[in-house]
Amino acid sequence: MAITEKITSTTVPTFWEGGIPVRYVYTYGLSGERFFRAVKDKGTFLATHCEECDVTFLPPKVYCDRCFEQLDEYIDVGTTGSVESFTVSFKNMDGSDKTEPRILAMVRIDGTDGGIIHYLVGFDWDEIAIGMPVKAVFKTKAQRKGSIEDIVGFGPLR
Amino acid sequence: MKLEDYKLGGTNLKSSDFKQGKVLTTEWEPDLKYAWDNGVAIGRYLAELKEGRIIARACHQCRRIMLPPRMFCELCFRPTDEWLYVRDTGVVNTFSIAYVNWDASRRGPKEPPLLPAVIEIDGASPQMGIMHMLGGVDPAAIKIGMKVRAVWKDPAERTGAITDILYFEPAAGTRRATKPKAGAKRGTKGKAAAKATQTGRGKR
Repeated sequence: MAITEKITSTTVPTFWEGGIPVRYVYTYGLSGERFFRAVKDKGTFLATHCEECDVTFLPPKVYCDRCFEQLDEYIDVGTTGSVESFTVSFKNMDGSDKTEPRILAMVRIDGTDGGIIHYLVGFDWDEIAIGMPVKAVFKTKAQRKGSIEDIVGFGPLR
Repeated sequence: MKLEDYKLGGTNLKSSDFKQGKVLTTEWEPDLKYAWDNGVAIGRYLAELKEGRIIARACHQCRRIMLPPRMFCELCFRPTDEWLYVRDTGVVNTFSIAYVNWDASRRGPKEPPLLPAVIEIDGASPQMGIMHMLGGVDPAAIKIGMKVRAVWKDPAERTGAITDILYFEPAAGTRRATKPKAGAKRGTKGKAAAKATQTGRGKR
């Protein structure tokens, strides 16, 4: 038995539009708290290191995801790194054109096996290359709140 | 940190820890928009609300008159058969007196409580009805089984939404469902018949 009534005109179907109000407050967790405290107060990055596996986690983890050993020593790894991968965005979220392209990159932090995805700043978009050395650019200490936005981006290493 | 230092259940945080900045946070409000396809049944249901009518759908096998309307009978597993106008009156199936808003914030001392209720609509099968608000009634006087009537928005202000009905207010009397294209000669009588003819002549 077929459905007996069908919409045959494209002007008949209607839809209901709405929004879902959702607001959240995210806490960084044990290691994330340590990491962003260091970003906020010292303008540097902390990592944890697993002796057994010889892996350095950045962002830091409270346990090694290979051997499950607890990691409770935080090491300052500095703020330099290299471009692991990147993309250049010419469009805004709504599909409109950006006035200036933004460069997003996965930056491998030196001395670690991890990295941070952030903007590249102070470069022309067509001069970016994988492996290029970069250094984190922070907001002034007074402006820093303890969030990923305390970092302006990664700029040229001088 | 040693194993014995770990406590089950993670790290307890108090609201004062947030207020005093003892813990770092990131706040965000995602822009969650949706467009929901009304489909055939709800599409017509909303269009009829704009005209000040409530329309239901009948299944000839289980003989239910279903509200809100649906094109498929979930009991018989077959398409439903017929559009039927039901009344804009009904009885209170269940209700609540809410002193909090949707986001759980307290309503102010001068704000009356919200009165959400499920209304079994006259003409639809028993237990069939819609969730709406009660109004024009003392909250203490609301009873399950109480007869109510829809209070409609001004026709010019209706948008084809469930809020085209402002609320349900106490009323008396129950009436039957009517067929959209049925003439005045069908078996209804008196005032009910007059109303049935009026609402019975749908545009479709």
